[in-house]
Amino acid sequence: MLFKDQLYFVRENMKKNKMRIFMTVLATAMGTAFLIVLASVAFGLHDTLIKDVLEQETVNQVQIYGKDDPNSQGITDEDIDYFKSLENVRAVRKQSFFRQSPLVSLNGYEVSPRTVAVDMAALETGGTPLKDGRYATSSDEVVVGYHFYEQLLKDDTDPEDMYDENGERIEETLYQGELIGETIDLTVSRLINETDTEEKTYQVTVVGVTAEPANEWQQDQRLYTTFDFYQSVSEYTGTPGGEMYFQEEPMDLTFYYDEVTIQSNNLENVQALTDTINDQGYYGYSVASELKQINMLFTIAKAGLIFIGAIAVIIASIGIFNTMTMAVTERAPDIGIMKAIGASPKTIKQIFLLESSIIGIMGATIGTLVSYLISFLVNIGLPLILEAAFEDQLPEGFQFSSIPWTLVLIAYVICLLVTLISGSRPAKKATKIDVLSALRREL
Amino acid sequence: MIEVKQLSHQFELGKKDKKTVIPVLQDVSFSVTKGEIVTLVGRSGSGKSTLLHLIGGFLPRQSGNIVINTTDVSDFTEAQFAEFRLGTIGFIFQNFQFIQSMTAYQNVELPLILQGVSETARKIQALDTLEKVGLKGFEHHYPSELSGGQQQRVSVARALVLNPLIILADEPTGSLDSETEEDLLHLIKELNESLDITFLIITHDDEVAKIGHRSLMMHDGALIDQEVK
Repeated sequence: MLFKDQLYFVRENMKKNKMRIFMTVLATAMGTAFLIVLASVAFGLHDTLIKDVLEQETVNQVQIYGKDDPNSQGITDEDIDYFKSLENVRAVRKQSFFRQSPLVSLNGYEVSPRTVAVDMAALETGGTPLKDGRYATSSDEVVVGYHFYEQLLKDDTDPEDMYDENGERIEETLYQGELIGETIDLTVSRLINETDTEEKTYQVTVVGVTAEPANEWQQDQRLYTTFDFYQSVSEYTGTPGGEMYFQEEPMDLTFYYDEVTIQSNNLENVQALTDTINDQGYYGYSVASELKQINMLFTIAKAGLIFIGAIAVIIASIGIFNTMTMAVTERAPDIGIMKAIGASPKTIKQIFLLESSIIGIMGATIGTLVSYLISFLVNIGLPLILEAAFEDQLPEGFQFSSIPWTLVLIAYVICLLVTLISGSRPAKKATKIDVLSALRREL
Repeated sequence: MIEVKQLSHQFELGKKDKKTVIPVLQDVSFSVTKGEIVTLVGRSGSGKSTLLHLIGGFLPRQSGNIVINTTDVSDFTEAQFAEFRLGTIGFIFQNFQFIQSMTAYQNVELPLILQGVSETARKIQALDTLEKVGLKGFEHHYPSELSGGQQQRVSVARALVLNPLIILADEPTGSLDSETEEDLLHLIKELNESLDITFLIITHDDEVAKIGHRSLMMHDGALIDQEVK
């Protein structure tokens, strides 16, 4: 029997009891829609979270915090050379924090910022953007953070007068002038004996301001210098990074980097790079590792929700079983005639399995369409409801529900599988119909 | 064409503890040659319908052998028999046995569909067969819209459409009046002569028995007489 003819038979049979078929398809559609909508929440939140992580500047970076070696005091130039030799490395950014916060004076404003020596060239190739200006090229040039100016205070300003009654910064207390091109006085202290200190003032020029950090909550108030400058401060104080420590004997001023960031040339290689570095005994961390954990967590959540959703489809399958059993009973005389003429049990089984599959496919299709509609409405409506109820704005691009094609495929497979299982028993029953009893209308 | 050897059959009635065994066929042997019309006559309960159902594969064989067109069908499974039946045997039933929701044309087309014949070819074959039995113009009538005689002609057309070697008929005139009975018998005779189809017909009607080349008489499950005309 041709498949086309089987379809024709099924269509004719389905036409005979439209209402019953409609109710069965409806139940299947509801089950499928429940499955998809439920799981779409996990998919939506996962997408939003991943998107959020990927938007971070640090997404294709591996941060090195140290080395698993008891004799090592930190990352040295030798280690940096090793990192640079690795595949898929675009840039290696290194930085060393000053062990004191030098006093910065600029046109009557002062601040003691967190000061850090960075590799300006790597900063540029590593893709750290500047808002204004350029990167420093010599030891008498510096770059300041995006929020640096906010910390500059007039010498005579009482910190209590900086904020109004609402806790907002008073505009007038902020530094209003230009930063780029300004020469600032950087005063560094050192201990000359156990108790006494002396100071040295370096004159440096601000040549750049870093771009605004990707996230609102991030603050960049640092002062970025070159390693040459770091070295001259170390030599002046006789301690690494200008540490306020006195020792008669000269100290070892070997360069150790506090933070090393390796930038990969693309996101796919970050995890492999992290693994390679960790295998070599370094303490490396990347957001990609975090992504792996997020992915695993959401995979479990998705599987759980799909499982719960599948229960709804299984409940709907009871309807299919019932419909198909009734169909077999009603059509027993016709089945008997077909068998008497020469229809094989296989053909009879195929017709009934096809019918239950069509019910399943129709249900899954309607359920999927309804799910897309619900998902669309939820993504539009829920933020509005939450904003109205809690006066809290959801982050931009927040997606509560998302239906990828894989979820639709999973729903179809589950639905088809469940309908085939529920239709198989009635189909088998149809093949067992006794021809003579059916012809005598005894069934 | 049909060879039945020492065929016996019994029915078991009642439940486990109180089973009653009723023998319906006892050591029946006979053969039908190609192009013959053989009638099986006998009173109700003589076992003639059981014999026809065993030859048609509607009942599982218990003992004895059945050979149809040199094929031993004795140990065929249900599926094997279905496939064999479709290409070799046509059936005519006393009460027609139509799918009521299908038209005369669709009922005749059914065996062709089951055999996987293409739509174009089966349209030609089904219409041709309906014309052969004198039902041209009645294609789109539902069985309930046809007279008894016309319905039995549709039944003959359905049995005939796949050009079977044998047609088994179970009381084909049982639901017809004498005039339409005569028409049908005439049609059977004509098909036998023109298409060389073998007929095995069950009847208790003397008029029907007359059209056979041979008549087999059954009594209490045994073949008691063979009359050759």
